[in-house]
Amino acid sequence: MAATEPVRPKAARSQGWTAGGPVSGRDTNLIRIGIVLGAAILWEGVSRSGWLFQDVVPSLLAIGAAIGKMLVNPAFYANLQVTAGEVFASLAIGGALGIFTGIALGSNRFLGAAFEPYVYYLAPTPRIIFFPVMIMWFGVGAASKIALGALSCFFTVALSTAGGMRGIDTVLIRVGKSFRATPWQMGMKIYLPAMRVPVLNGIRLGFGTAMVTALLAETKLSNQGLGYMIMQIYSRFDMPSLYALLIIVFIIAGAGNLILGRVTGTNA
Amino acid sequence: MADAGAGRSRWAAPALGAGSVIAIFAALEILLKTGIVNRFIVPYPSAVLLSLERIIVEENVLGRVGETAFEMFFSCIAVILIGVPIGTALYRYRALRRAVEDWVAALAAAPLVLAFPLFLVLFGRSSLTIIVMSVITGLAPIIIKTTEGLAGVRPVLINVGKSLKMGDSQMFWKILIPAALPVIFSGIRLSWTFVLISVVGIEFLINLGGLGQLINDLAERYDLPGTYAAILFVVGVSVCFFMILERVETWLRPNP
Amino acid sequence: MNNAAANAAGDKAVPVMPAPAAEAQLVIDRVSKRFGEGPGAVVAVDDMSFDVMPGEFVACIGPSGCGKSTLFNIIGGLQEEYVGNVMIDKSRIAGPHAAVGMVFQEESTFPWRNVLDNVAFPLELQNVGQSERRDRAQKFISLVGLQGFEKRMPSELSGGMRQRVSIARTLVSGPRILLMDEPFAALDEQTRLLLGDKITQIQQELHQTTLLITHNLTEAVQLSDRIVVMTYRPGRVKRIVNIDLPRPRTSDVVSSPAFGKYVAEIWGDLREEATRGMEEAEAGAAARGKTARG
Repeated sequence: MAATEPVRPKAARSQGWTAGGPVSGRDTNLIRIGIVLGAAILWEGVSRSGWLFQDVVPSLLAIGAAIGKMLVNPAFYANLQVTAGEVFASLAIGGALGIFTGIALGSNRFLGAAFEPYVYYLAPTPRIIFFPVMIMWFGVGAASKIALGALSCFFTVALSTAGGMRGIDTVLIRVGKSFRATPWQMGMKIYLPAMRVPVLNGIRLGFGTAMVTALLAETKLSNQGLGYMIMQIYSRFDMPSLYALLIIVFIIAGAGNLILGRVTGTNA
Repeated sequence: MADAGAGRSRWAAPALGAGSVIAIFAALEILLKTGIVNRFIVPYPSAVLLSLERIIVEENVLGRVGETAFEMFFSCIAVILIGVPIGTALYRYRALRRAVEDWVAALAAAPLVLAFPLFLVLFGRSSLTIIVMSVITGLAPIIIKTTEGLAGVRPVLINVGKSLKMGDSQMFWKILIPAALPVIFSGIRLSWTFVLISVVGIEFLINLGGLGQLINDLAERYDLPGTYAAILFVVGVSVCFFMILERVETWLRPNP
Repeated sequence: MNNAAANAAGDKAVPVMPAPAAEAQLVIDRVSKRFGEGPGAVVAVDDMSFDVMPGEFVACIGPSGCGKSTLFNIIGGLQEEYVGNVMIDKSRIAGPHAAVGMVFQEESTFPWRNVLDNVAFPLELQNVGQSERRDRAQKFISLVGLQGFEKRMPSELSGGMRQRVSIARTLVSGPRILLMDEPFAALDEQTRLLLGDKITQIQQELHQTTLLITHNLTEAVQLSDRIVVMTYRPGRVKRIVNIDLPRPRTSDVVSSPAFGKYVAEIWGDLREEATRGMEEAEAGAAARGKTARG
């Protein structure tokens, strides 16, 4: 190695911005282990030192124990079921409306120009502020969370569907026409497969927004669901359990995202 | 290909859009008058428009905008000051990037806002809670886009720098940053959007501070037109914010 | 402009497919196309006429922006509104015609189908049964030299291979006229020459009537029996040149003196047009710069 490129190591140092031999998998794992260990030690150190109230930064052991306890707590599963039901109902309603709207906006340039700006600019507004309205319309139960979740993921799915429709390589459409495909064949064999990725990606992102919104709505006003559970634990100042539940929720969200990504073949 | 229809539809499409919005409001007004839609759930659109003035005058909206803007300002600055250096480090140290790239992406997708009760315990019901929470929420996109932007700088530009014997910091400030700026700014735009959502959202959730609290207050008073008007106002403010960010972004992007 | 075609025919250069009584496979008769109206209108194609005989390989060559692609879209039936007639079997083209197979300039394989399914696509549209579909597609995959790659996805292939997939996909539909728009534009020079060999070989094997649209001189001379030289905006027929190089040809032909003579001759015609095109493009850019600054 040294014989083939004797000058290289020195040169590489002065070219820091483009430095790069291949990174080995072992190095990557070492760095990961290092970061995790470092963070854990720091955390535990802070926890034991008592610099912050011990309650705020509980020992990792306490958090671990709380996670274990949470996982055998039937109330957790009952609330998880409620939230999951809300999220999937939101996704089904908002996603279906979004795909329908997206196809309308993406296939017709005039409709797109007329209405897409509204969808586009409303999409990133803070959806949770519509919650009071949803409560007025649908009551304090699960329906208002479903409505809010559906509203949130509608925009995401509609925009990515419209974008996907417009993003279809026009030459593929011309290929279809040149082979004299019927409208049905164009839809099934060209538009549908060509739009698959953006639409599924929109659904994946929509799942994320629907979940956050439903959970936040639950923290605000509800009597069941994981969001409600978080607020209950918070009101007891049971910090280990709060960390435990948050960690579990993040893992569920991450797993959901990962699974949808795998299923749909889109990356995070 | 110049299309004859293009000239006509330049105004027709926005007119249809705006016309439809007005038509929906008019239809709603009529439906409410005839009692088909319940007046105790949906206020008259005209009443909402009238309450806009009331809200601005009586509810100290300017002060509230100021409060939200204050929290936004610190969060937005902090997001850049923390995110860009981390993104740069991930670009420069490839091993580090390989190690944590997936984690950052997972962070971007995680429902971090949910952790707000945690920060309530740490900082109490204060602006600090809102700012810290919003910074955490907004950090991932700017890190990802900074790394992506720097990694996407055309190698030939870096070679130009090398051929001119530029030092590390010259290379960074005179070549890498300007070349990557459009991409980095698109990260900033995303991050700031997240920050806005988070600031207003948490204000609403913990009933503290500016515009988010306004909506909460009015809803709790069951001031129907007031609540709708306040939501309309906040939506308007956010839309203006996004539009400005977008203008800046197109302005930064090199013309093709 | 009809007389240009007549001149060429009367040029006494022996046609490669000497069938004096044969009917033309494709007739382009006084075809014009303008875009827009009023002062901003652009005349893309202006009163073009020429024929393509059965089994003949004709190239249309002209500088960028001379309306070649418009002509391609008209003949392919994708541009349905035009003045004049494009005739196949005495019927006027208005919409994609079963007798015309198009190969596009852009990357046009379906990224979600493997090579076999890409090539079988037109047969699928015609509801051909699966086993027959596979056999027929296989034949054309071998013809373009991609046997062994049937299960690969387009993303795993090189640009030249993907373009061969497109060509096979078009050929499998059994077009009487193969219509290609700069099919090698995105490829490097060597790949282009080798693909040219492939095209020549296919054409000789199938006696495939072909109309190639291109801006590449070497490519046009290497492949064609006749070359239609177009003017820059509006696109008109400037001259029709018979290429009297021996067949069967290979890419070796590019080193022969006769080849050089043809290239030089056509370049003489083309140079004027290309220069004019470049000047107009530069003037346009300068004008745009002024309005942008002002």
